[in-house]
Amino acid sequence: MDLALLLEWIIKSLVLILILLTSFAYLTFYERKALARIQVRIGPNRAGPGGWLQPVADAVKLIFKEELTPAKAYKVIFVIAPMLTLLPALIILAVVPFGSSITLFGRQVSLGITDINVGVLYIMAVASISVYGIVLAGWSSNNKYAMLGGIRSSAQMISYELALGLSIIGPILLAESMSIGEIIDAQRGIWFLFLQPVGAIIFWTATLAEVNRSPFDMPEAEQELTAGYHVEYSGMKFALFFIAEYMKMIAVSVILAALFLGGYRGPFVDQVPLLGPLYLFVKVFVLLFIMIWVRATLPRIRYDRLMAFGWKLLFPLALTNVFLTAVGIILADTYGPAFLWSIPLMSILAFLVVNYLARDRIATASAQAVSFRR
Amino acid sequence: MSEQTLVAEDIIKTRFGEAVEADGRKGYEGYLVKREKLVEVATALRDEFGYDYLSSVTAVDYLPEDKIEVVYHLFKSTGGPSLVIKVDAPRENTSVPSLVPVYPGAELQEREAWDLMGVKFEGHPDLRRILMWEGFAGHPLRKDWREAYFEEEGKPFKSRWPDGHVYRIEDKNPFAKNVDYPAGFDPESWVPEGEAALYAGMGAVDVGSNLRTDHVVVNLGPQHPSTHGVFRMVVTLDGETILKLKPVMGYLHRNHEKIGERNTFLQNMPFTDRLDYLSSMSNNFGYALAVEKLMGIKPPERAEYLRVIMAELTRISNHIFAIGMFLNDLGAYFTPALYAIQERELILDIFEAVSGSRMMCNYFRFGGVARDLPEGVLEKIRSLVVDRLPRKVDELDLYLTNNEIIRARGEGVGVLTPEQAIAYSAAGPVLRASGVPYDIRRADPYSIYDRFEFDVAVRYHGDVYDRYLIRMDEMRQSLRILQQAVRDLPEGPIQEGKPQYQVRVPAGESYGRVEGPKGELGYYIVSNGKANPWRYHVRAPSFINLTALETMAVGDKIADAVAILGSIDIVLGETDR
Repeated sequence: MDLALLLEWIIKSLVLILILLTSFAYLTFYERKALARIQVRIGPNRAGPGGWLQPVADAVKLIFKEELTPAKAYKVIFVIAPMLTLLPALIILAVVPFGSSITLFGRQVSLGITDINVGVLYIMAVASISVYGIVLAGWSSNNKYAMLGGIRSSAQMISYELALGLSIIGPILLAESMSIGEIIDAQRGIWFLFLQPVGAIIFWTATLAEVNRSPFDMPEAEQELTAGYHVEYSGMKFALFFIAEYMKMIAVSVILAALFLGGYRGPFVDQVPLLGPLYLFVKVFVLLFIMIWVRATLPRIRYDRLMAFGWKLLFPLALTNVFLTAVGIILADTYGPAFLWSIPLMSILAFLVVNYLARDRIATASAQAVSFRR
Repeated sequence: MSEQTLVAEDIIKTRFGEAVEADGRKGYEGYLVKREKLVEVATALRDEFGYDYLSSVTAVDYLPEDKIEVVYHLFKSTGGPSLVIKVDAPRENTSVPSLVPVYPGAELQEREAWDLMGVKFEGHPDLRRILMWEGFAGHPLRKDWREAYFEEEGKPFKSRWPDGHVYRIEDKNPFAKNVDYPAGFDPESWVPEGEAALYAGMGAVDVGSNLRTDHVVVNLGPQHPSTHGVFRMVVTLDGETILKLKPVMGYLHRNHEKIGERNTFLQNMPFTDRLDYLSSMSNNFGYALAVEKLMGIKPPERAEYLRVIMAELTRISNHIFAIGMFLNDLGAYFTPALYAIQERELILDIFEAVSGSRMMCNYFRFGGVARDLPEGVLEKIRSLVVDRLPRKVDELDLYLTNNEIIRARGEGVGVLTPEQAIAYSAAGPVLRASGVPYDIRRADPYSIYDRFEFDVAVRYHGDVYDRYLIRMDEMRQSLRILQQAVRDLPEGPIQEGKPQYQVRVPAGESYGRVEGPKGELGYYIVSNGKANPWRYHVRAPSFINLTALETMAVGDKIADAVAILGSIDIVLGETDR
C-alpha cells in the first residue's frame, strides 16, 4: 500500500462524506418542497432566494438549541445512541461505485471508495448496525413512548431484513458476484429491474421499512408515540438521528439504483466516465421522489399488520422469487439465454397469486373481526 | 302541550302513582320523582315506555327554595319529544341515587354534576372530580359559591359599565389571597391521590394467559399530537394491546356555565361560539332555539332559511375537517387534511362575508339572525353547494374510501353495537354509524327541517370505518338540504321585531337541542325572569361521546386508540367547557 493510495482513499472518503452531508441538507429541502406541492402548499420560501437557504437556517437552529438530557436517562448510552445510528449511514456507501474510473493527475482514480468482492454482505451487515442505535436510544431515554418505539423498531428491522436479504439474492445470482461493481457491470445490456421486477418491489418495500419511512414509520409514529425513539432528544443529538434517517434514504436509493437500475450506467458512460455520477444522481432523485410521494399519500399501517405483512407475505414471496430466479437461470443455462425471461414471467405470476390470496385474506380477516368482536 | 303528551301523563300517573308528580310550576314541564323511587322509575321508563336514551343529566341550584334539583332529559331512540324527570335533594349533603346502572351514558355527566354542583350520586362506580382538580374548594356552580375577586352576580358589572371604567377588581387588589383549598388540603405536600387511585385501578388486569407479561401504563396526553388538544387517555398496555383505558379531561376547563350564568342572555351568544370552535354556527343555533322557546317567539321565514344554510355549511366544514384530521390520525401525513382544509376555507369565506368572522361567528339572534346576506354571497353559496362541494366530496370519496390501508385500519376496529351506543348516550355520527337512525332533524324536528327532503345517514357496523363513511354520507345529505334551501330562500325580514340588546325572558325552563355536527347539542336554560339565566347548561356531544371510549378501545391496539378518538371527533373546547 503506497502513500498515494492512502491519500486517495482519505480524500475520496472526505469527498463522499461532504457530498452526503450536503445532499442530506438539500434532501430535507427537496422533501419539504415536494410534500408542499403535493399538499397544495408552497413550502419553505423565506430563507434565501426561493427558500434555498432553508437547510442552512435549519442547521443553525438545531446547533443552537438547548440539549436536554432526561434526569433518569442512562447518560452514556443516551449520548452514544445517536452516533451509533449515524455511523452506518455514513459508511454504508463506501462499497458502491459512483462511476467508472477517470484519470486525474496521471493517476487512474476509480469513482467510489472501494469495491470489495463481498460488497453486498458489507451493506447488509452495516445496515443492521443502525438498529442498535435506535433500540438503545429508546431504552436509555427512560420514556415509555421511546421504549415502545425502540421495541417496534427492532422487531420491524429484524423482520424486514429477511425479505431484504432475499431480494438481493436475485441480482447476486444473475451477476454471479457479490461485488457491487460487478453487479453494475452485469447490467450493461439490461437492467435487473426487468429481470427481477418482483425482487425490486420487495427490496423497495423492505427498505422503506428498514429506513422507517412512511407507511412503515412505526418506530416514530407521530400520532401514536409522539416521536418514538427520539422523543427525548433535542438539539444536535436529535439532528444526528435526523441526518441518519435522511442519509439512509439516500443510501438505499443508491443501492437500489446499483442493484436494479444499472447504477451509474447509461448511454455513453463508457466514453465519458463523468456522466456516470450524473446518471446515478438522476436515478436517485427519482427514487427519492417516490419515497416522498409515498409519504404524502399513504396512511400508516398498524403495527401488528405490519409484522404480519412482513412475515406472511413479503418473506414467502421473496423466498419464492429466489427459487424462481434459480430455476430461470438453470433454464437459461440449459436451453439458451432467452429463457432468462422466464424469471420475470414466473415471478410476476407468483406476485399476482400472492396478491390475490392476500386480498382474500385481508377481506375475511376484517369480516371476522366485525362479526366476532364482543 | 299536545294531546299525546297529556295521554302519556295519565299513563305515567297511573303507572307510578305516588312516586311521581307532574311539575306544576309555571314554565316548567316534566315530572318530579321521589328520590328513593328514581332508579325504579327510570328502569320502568326505559323498559316499559321506551325512553331508552338519556340525553342530559344536570342539576339546578334553587338557592331561594333551598334545594337542588337534578334534571334528566329522556328520549326515545325511535324519535319524539323529551320526557323530563326531576329529583329534589337538600342543599346540605346532597345525594341522589345514580342512574349509571340503568343508563351507562350518565357516567361522565354525573361526575360532572358532582364536580360542579356537589350532588353525590349513590352507587356511581367512579365518582371523582372530572373537570376540576382535587385541590379545588367547593362546587362552583352552586349559587353561593363565589370566585376570587367576586364583583357581582350578573353582568354588566357596574365597575365597567355604564361609567366606562375598564379596570378589574383584581388590579386594585393584586396581593389578595385568591385561591381557596378544601379543608386539610396542603398544595405543597399534595400528591395527586386521584392519580394514584387512577393508576392503582389501571394496574392489575388478568389476561388469563400463562405467559407472565408486565403491563405498561402509558399516558397518551395531555400533550400529545393526536388527542386534538389537551386530552389525556391513560391506557394499560399488554404489549401493544389495550387492556384498560380511562379518559382524563378538564385541562381546558373554564367553567363556561358559571360564566354563562353571569352573562346576560345575549352575551352568551358569542360565548357559545367558543364551545365547539369548529362549528360555531350550530352552537348559536341550539342556544337561540332554547331561549326562543322560553320567550315564545319564532324567527321569520328568511331567517329560518339562513339559519339552516349556515348550520348545514357548518356541518360540511366540520365533517370535511374531521375526515382530514382522522386520516392524519391514521398517519397520512397531512395530505388529505390539507385538501379538506382547502374546501373548509371556502366555507369560512362565506361565514366571514355574512358574520364578519371566520370561526367565532356570533351570527344568530333571538328571533332571527344578525345580518342579511351581503350582495353576491348567495351566488357564492350556490356555486359552492351545487358545483364545487359535491365534486370535492366525490373526489375525497374516490381517493380515500377504498384505500387498502384505511380499510384495514378501520374495519372491525372500535366497534360499538347499537345497544351500547344507545346505552352510552352516544350521539350524532357515532350513534348513527352504529346502526341507530337517530337524527334530531328527523326524530324531533326543529326550525324548518321538516320541509326539506333528505335521508338520515346510517351505517351498521359501528366501527371506525363506518364512522368515517357516515361523515361522507352526511355531507352529501347536507348538500341536498343546502341545494333546496338556497333554491327556496324567500325574501323578507331577518329579525322578529326590533333587535334588542337586553331581551326579556320569562321565568321557566327550556331545553333546546340541535343535531350538531358532532351530535346532539343541547342547552338547558332556566330563567327566573331576570337579565341573566339562572341556570345555563350545555349538553356537549364531544364530552358525552367519550363515555363509550373505553368500550370501543379495549382489546384493540394502541394505534387504534388514536384512530378511535379521531373517529369520535371531539373538540376540547366543548369537552372541557
